[in-house]
Amino acid sequence: MAEIKWPQQRRVIGTKVPRVDGPDKATGLARYGFDINRRGMLHAMILCSNVPHGRLKTVDVSAAEKHPGFRGIFHFKRQGQEVFYVGDEILAIAADTEEHCHDCLRLVRIEYEPLPFVVNEEAALKEPGKGTVPNPGQGNVRPSGQRSVGNVEDALGKADAVVEGTYSVPVQCHCCLEPHGMVAEWQGNNLTVWCSTQATTGIAGMLEAQFRNRVPDVKCRCITHYMGGGYGSKFIPGPTGIACSELAFMTKAPVKLFLDRFEEQISAGNRPSATATVKIAGTKDGKITAFQADIYGTPGGGAGAGAVDAYHQLVPYVYTSIPNIRTVNRTIRLNTGDRQAFRAPGHPQACFLTESAVDDLANKLSLDPLEVRRANLPTDLPNAFKRPIYEEQLKIVAEMCDWKKRWHPPGQGPSKGPLKHGLGLGLHTWGGGGRPNNDVRVAIKSDGSVLVQCSTQDLGTGERTVLAIVVAEVLGLNVKDVTSEIGESQFGRSTGSGGSTTCPGTAPAALIAAHRARDDLFAKLAPRLGVNKDDLKIDPEKPGKIVAGDKEWTWKEACARLGMDTVVGIGDHPGDQSLSSQGVGGVQVCECWVDTETGIVHLKNFWAVQDCGLVINKLACESQVAGGIIMGIHYAMFEERLMDDNTGRPLNADMEFYKLAGMKDIPEIHVHMMDMPERGVIGIGEPPTISTAAAIGNAICNALGVRVPRTPFSPMNVLAALAQKGGA
Amino acid sequence: MKNFTYYRPTSLEAAVALLDATYGASELLAGGTDLLDLQKEYIAQPDKVISLSGLGAEFRKITMRGGNPPSVEIGAGATLADIAEHKDLRELFPGLTTAAGEIGGPQIRNMGTLGGNLCQRNRCWYFRDETVSCLLKGGRKCYATDGDNRYHAVFTTGHKCVIVNPSTLAPVLIALRAEAEVQGPRGKRTVPLDKFFRAPESAEHREHVLAANEIVTKVTLKAGPRNASYEVRHKQSYDWPLVQAAVAFDLDGGTARNVRVVLGHVAPTPHLAESAAKTLEGKRVTDETAAAAGKAATEGARPLSDNAYKVKLIEVAVKRAALLAAGAKPYWE
Repeated sequence: MAEIKWPQQRRVIGTKVPRVDGPDKATGLARYGFDINRRGMLHAMILCSNVPHGRLKTVDVSAAEKHPGFRGIFHFKRQGQEVFYVGDEILAIAADTEEHCHDCLRLVRIEYEPLPFVVNEEAALKEPGKGTVPNPGQGNVRPSGQRSVGNVEDALGKADAVVEGTYSVPVQCHCCLEPHGMVAEWQGNNLTVWCSTQATTGIAGMLEAQFRNRVPDVKCRCITHYMGGGYGSKFIPGPTGIACSELAFMTKAPVKLFLDRFEEQISAGNRPSATATVKIAGTKDGKITAFQADIYGTPGGGAGAGAVDAYHQLVPYVYTSIPNIRTVNRTIRLNTGDRQAFRAPGHPQACFLTESAVDDLANKLSLDPLEVRRANLPTDLPNAFKRPIYEEQLKIVAEMCDWKKRWHPPGQGPSKGPLKHGLGLGLHTWGGGGRPNNDVRVAIKSDGSVLVQCSTQDLGTGERTVLAIVVAEVLGLNVKDVTSEIGESQFGRSTGSGGSTTCPGTAPAALIAAHRARDDLFAKLAPRLGVNKDDLKIDPEKPGKIVAGDKEWTWKEACARLGMDTVVGIGDHPGDQSLSSQGVGGVQVCECWVDTETGIVHLKNFWAVQDCGLVINKLACESQVAGGIIMGIHYAMFEERLMDDNTGRPLNADMEFYKLAGMKDIPEIHVHMMDMPERGVIGIGEPPTISTAAAIGNAICNALGVRVPRTPFSPMNVLAALAQKGGA
Repeated sequence: MKNFTYYRPTSLEAAVALLDATYGASELLAGGTDLLDLQKEYIAQPDKVISLSGLGAEFRKITMRGGNPPSVEIGAGATLADIAEHKDLRELFPGLTTAAGEIGGPQIRNMGTLGGNLCQRNRCWYFRDETVSCLLKGGRKCYATDGDNRYHAVFTTGHKCVIVNPSTLAPVLIALRAEAEVQGPRGKRTVPLDKFFRAPESAEHREHVLAANEIVTKVTLKAGPRNASYEVRHKQSYDWPLVQAAVAFDLDGGTARNVRVVLGHVAPTPHLAESAAKTLEGKRVTDETAAAAGKAATEGARPLSDNAYKVKLIEVAVKRAALLAAGAKPYWE
């Protein structure tokens, strides 16, 4: 087979294509896991710990079991075991109705032997040796990694300017619109789950493993036609999936189990906090010569806590060529819910901590912060991302926002009464490479219909449309002529939607599958059309046609000759870098007006330049960048998990005081996609949310002439920073 | 939520007759934007829920009355959206329509009512957590006093419970000297809005002074004073005010007379800022006098550990509300 390449001349790829499933989502025709109701279905709910740390003295379910609606119970923890946070799962009950299930849970009598707890970082730091989490002997505050490059002491001594600052971002909770959960139904050895997941085949495999010792021939099928967001928190069945499928197995009835918003906030995963005390030094020409940071953050107390050290290792972020670096990291374990992967894990924190310090150094040196970025661009990054792309991006973004005209030294910009103008920026990077084990199947029938199938799921990125675009391009058709079916594990292999890998994993597979389907089509048609198969062509200049020399047929005419035959092409990602690659960069600039009397930050404009190699759907890419920025705005402006030191309980596990931006809080967003076809497809799911918070923080500092060192940028935090400066 | 018996009486008298004499066992259901949440969280566990949806149109009506000065009666069942969008109200009481239009989001405003807004329970996160036994749930301490109190009261002197009253309409209505009509087992009575609220301290108390078997039926207010409401919110969409100021005064040849300044979301009841009113009384409303009134409004503030920032916000909110009431162009936009 000749090597398959992305077409030089692209008719559909890279254009703006509205999502093929947009109308279904907008009208409610799309069915999410939560929408599935099966005949005889039971409702299940989880009873979780009410206390931040305790031993289960009594777990008495006798009254619940006597409730007429009670159907089954699944135990996560038994009498005598410890619970480690409010939200730690104890048991799940299935009942005939949702209301009865609620009633059953309230009939369970739990007695706890209270144990000591710590739920906030500052409290933990006061008693670092106190251990209130699993493996308590190691204490709650545990040294993790450290790193040393060059000689920081020496460089700090020789620098023209040294700035010290402490910067902080709190824990961010996963807030998927659709909570975690599934509907599970057994038929013989077959388990079908309608699951809100970002890994259909992963869920199927993990649930098969869960039951294999009891059902040797177990076959699990996972259906995820639509899902309401995952952001990294929905790769595994987790407690919801295990309890749901176990209760379905036990009761021999379909079971629905979805978390409510309170449980979702406290136990469905979060982005760890991060605080760093940074010393950064540089020379008059804007070269950063030293970066020292003492970093800590909390990932909760459980099994995944160790991963947070890798996040801290990302500091200093992007500017990896700084010659002298020293970082010391600590992990703070708390009696709170565990971290989960969260859109660009570790990156927004590392970006905020680094970019705030870099900006403060530029201010101290009285230099344009954009020029300081330019002067310190990395010579290389681990993921093969190249410095000239950043240089180009800085140039483009400066033109888009008219940086030279709009930027001013901190605190010296235009005012409108108490409103002060600010402009700030941040840089980010991400991998986003494609992976093999993504089977795409393209089938063509004699009625001219084209079906493309893959077991992958649409995390919200427009995956159905991606597959249809690629197939339509190769077959000379329009997107509407191709039907995409995704989100069923039995369609073949696919990898989880993590790391911004779905489009770069599946688009190359779709390209190969479409090429093979076209070749198969030509082979089958040639004798019936009376031509040589090598003469058959799809001409991008003649969409909807198949040509051979001066003869041509409409797609439908030609396909009609297939008769009973079906054409099939199957493809997978080739596993090399021929059709996809990795390593992207992005720059974001924020413009804001800060009300110095109220501390309210009014975001005015965002400009973003982003690359993702070959752009498949320009509209979806731009939406992805806008969506990433909106999520970054939530993070910078509003989000903060609040835990009560005295009770150890969450204070804002709801959508009332765990705040997310609304329409009026969103500025105008201007996106520029750099289309670089020669790099192949690269993912874009994660990168555009990374530098948003850093850009907002720097814009506020530029407005006020004072750093607001911690998010969210609430009146409370902004006014506190202004008061420290001595009033405004 | 706990099971309950649902009633839908068709007269106020019948509704009153269904109510118990003590709080807890029976609850009135208007828009449901507060009660249903309280029930789902088991903070309210009534045996009887008495819907007000069966009452006649009078209960929901906004009636303009003539006279000099003209007055208006707003039925307790009028929705926040009805109030926010009412053309005559907007002209005479821009403070009220602005306040109504900034509550919650469209869904809340379409369901929430005037009566519900005045009688709703507070939003303290300790009160709203079933497992926390605070003063208002029969416990022995206020958890906010030494807990996270960033959204709590800054006028705390003499208060064992440091909630803020959640009504955004109340400060404006008090500034406008409005009166509520209340129906009880022995007939109707009138309660001036500035006597309507109380600082609750136990499970037997509500945030208002009505008996458990009384229903607020309408609110009456007289046109005339210039009025405005200004609130500082963290989010510009769908958020509780951090601080709200309502200001009303008569303009007499350019000077302000009969000034009233009322603060919302800073004390267990709407807070009458008398010093602020005095500061502005008999003066022209300028940047300077408005700012002085703002300063005066903070008199007596005793913030808690986390909410000193709200004192600064009071200054600003009062200044801006006073300028808006005087018809000044917002200097902050």
